[in-house]
Amino acid sequence: MPFVYHRSLGLAFGAGVALAAALVAACGDARSRMPADTAVANATGALTIRDDFDDTLTLRAPPRRIVSLNPATTELFFALGAGDRLVGRTHFDLYPTAAQAVQDLGSAIPPNVESVLGVRPDLVLLYASQSNREPAARLHAAGVPTLTLRIDHIADFRRAVGILGRVLGDTARASVVVDSVTGTLERVRVATQGKPPVTAFWKAWDSPVIAIGGGSFLSELVDIAGGKNIYGGDPRPAFDVTIEDVVRRDPDVVFAGPESGERMRAAPAWRALRAVRNGRILIVDTMLVGRPGVRLGEAAVSLARLLHPGSLP
Amino acid sequence: MNGRPRQGVLYLVLAVAMLLAALAGLGVGPVRLTPVEVWNALGGRGEVTAVAIMRDIRAPRVVLAALVGAALAMSGAALQGTMRNPLAEPYLLGVSGGAAVGAVLAVAGGAPFGLVPIGAFGGAVAAVMLVLAIARAGGRRPDPRVLLMAGVVVGAFANAVIMIALASAPADSVRNALWWMMGSVAGATWAQIAWFAAYGVVSASALLLFAPEIDVLALGDDAAAGLGVNVDRAGRRAYVIASLLAAATVAAAGLVGFVGLVVPHLVRTRAGSRHRAVIAAAGLAGATLVILADLVARTLRAPSELPLGAVTALGGVPFFLFQLRRFR
Repeated sequence: MPFVYHRSLGLAFGAGVALAAALVAACGDARSRMPADTAVANATGALTIRDDFDDTLTLRAPPRRIVSLNPATTELFFALGAGDRLVGRTHFDLYPTAAQAVQDLGSAIPPNVESVLGVRPDLVLLYASQSNREPAARLHAAGVPTLTLRIDHIADFRRAVGILGRVLGDTARASVVVDSVTGTLERVRVATQGKPPVTAFWKAWDSPVIAIGGGSFLSELVDIAGGKNIYGGDPRPAFDVTIEDVVRRDPDVVFAGPESGERMRAAPAWRALRAVRNGRILIVDTMLVGRPGVRLGEAAVSLARLLHPGSLP
Repeated sequence: MNGRPRQGVLYLVLAVAMLLAALAGLGVGPVRLTPVEVWNALGGRGEVTAVAIMRDIRAPRVVLAALVGAALAMSGAALQGTMRNPLAEPYLLGVSGGAAVGAVLAVAGGAPFGLVPIGAFGGAVAAVMLVLAIARAGGRRPDPRVLLMAGVVVGAFANAVIMIALASAPADSVRNALWWMMGSVAGATWAQIAWFAAYGVVSASALLLFAPEIDVLALGDDAAAGLGVNVDRAGRRAYVIASLLAAATVAAAGLVGFVGLVVPHLVRTRAGSRHRAVIAAAGLAGATLVILADLVARTLRAPSELPLGAVTALGGVPFFLFQLRRFR
């Protein structure tokens, strides 16, 4: 008779684990990284790309009906001038505004394969989470090619821009995007160099408390902006932590979204944190800094202005 | 009856164990504090960070864990007696399923996170009432077996609703409800403890007050009726008070499994057959176990935490299997 109890608990755990996995995957998956920068045009003019699932994508012509199931790549297609080729996106792809006109296909890790097939794509971009292995295989079986990219770090972003430039047949524009982002990041790095590093805790979620770790591009952005992530030594992109562990690491400042920052100010337990008592909760624009995309440079500028006011015009 | 002195020793042992567990819970954490620092910080003296750690992080956790553990164990002890079923416990009788539905629906309906516990409590109360209504529809007297079956049925129904809500709600918001349902006292605040303690003291006192009725109910319906007890009313009363007590724990700390099932069995052999003693002893033992489980939950995987409900269930399953063997 207690099986109902087991079932409901099992459901809670199963779903919890799946969601935790999705969360980690959404922020990045530090395991099994492999370089996927092997794009070659062979003699027949077809383009061959090995992706992060080790699948080989062969394109004889630039794709015209693309489904992008990753907010970062959706942004990128627009930046590369190929937004009009998108026929599907995830529920969370809200930038640029034009992206909102593209058909919403729901979740992305894993996606609804039938919805994706329904818009008749000739290329599907996936995020490299293990949950997407099976959907990728199903799309292949239906004759739809996929390109799976892991975009967790700034270097991943640069690599992804290069790959998408080749896929779209516009490598010049891809170089412009990469150079512009790299240039801005370098400008921020130079501007904050020599300033005393500010130790920072990045709170990504409240309940449980989730910290951004060294496996996330956000940690890199904090470094570039003249800060030091207290969890930067942990290779995971994001993980839950206890309030007291944060207190032990004693950061100078806290990064949080507007609502998350407000909740932190209101919670008695967070008063144990020196940064909170000193009013050093820095509110970030979650839409701007949330994804490793074309606005990485802008994001770094906004963090540098928070960490070192006056360092950047 | 020569049980009195033996029971006095039992209460003393359980109270000392609870005190030791509480001291461990207060003394252990990522920030190392000496016993002297712990003592001073509890009294509000010393460095401001240490004071905040003790007064706003560790102490609320330990107190809430103790209250939740005590409430679940007392609820389970009362229900096992009332139902004359050693496997009866509040979660089996619809509380967990109803609370989960309430939490998930609150989140899926766009309620702010602070309202999730209220949604859970509402769901648990609704499930308890539904179980009672189903059991009564089956006949005039709420047969314990029918009550258990109604609990199972309502639990299955709740699972279906949860799955539908999970499938249709955005992952981002559902994550909140799910983490929360896995049980935790990490977010304990004194305000929360105050209302839970007030509610818990009233319900627990009522259970202790009606414990002699449960003793009679445990003899069987016919025997109880023969002794002049209104079986219908007494059974319903014990069931409602015990279930509502468990429902409040879900609002305070999510689902903390197996405490209500296991702890009464741990104390029953030593506390004797009187339910007042069993319920009181179960309360002390439940408090101790959940304080220790929380200590394990927050230290085993530092800097992260394990879900409290997972730790209690991991500890509870082996005992549960052992118990099943004894019944065979």
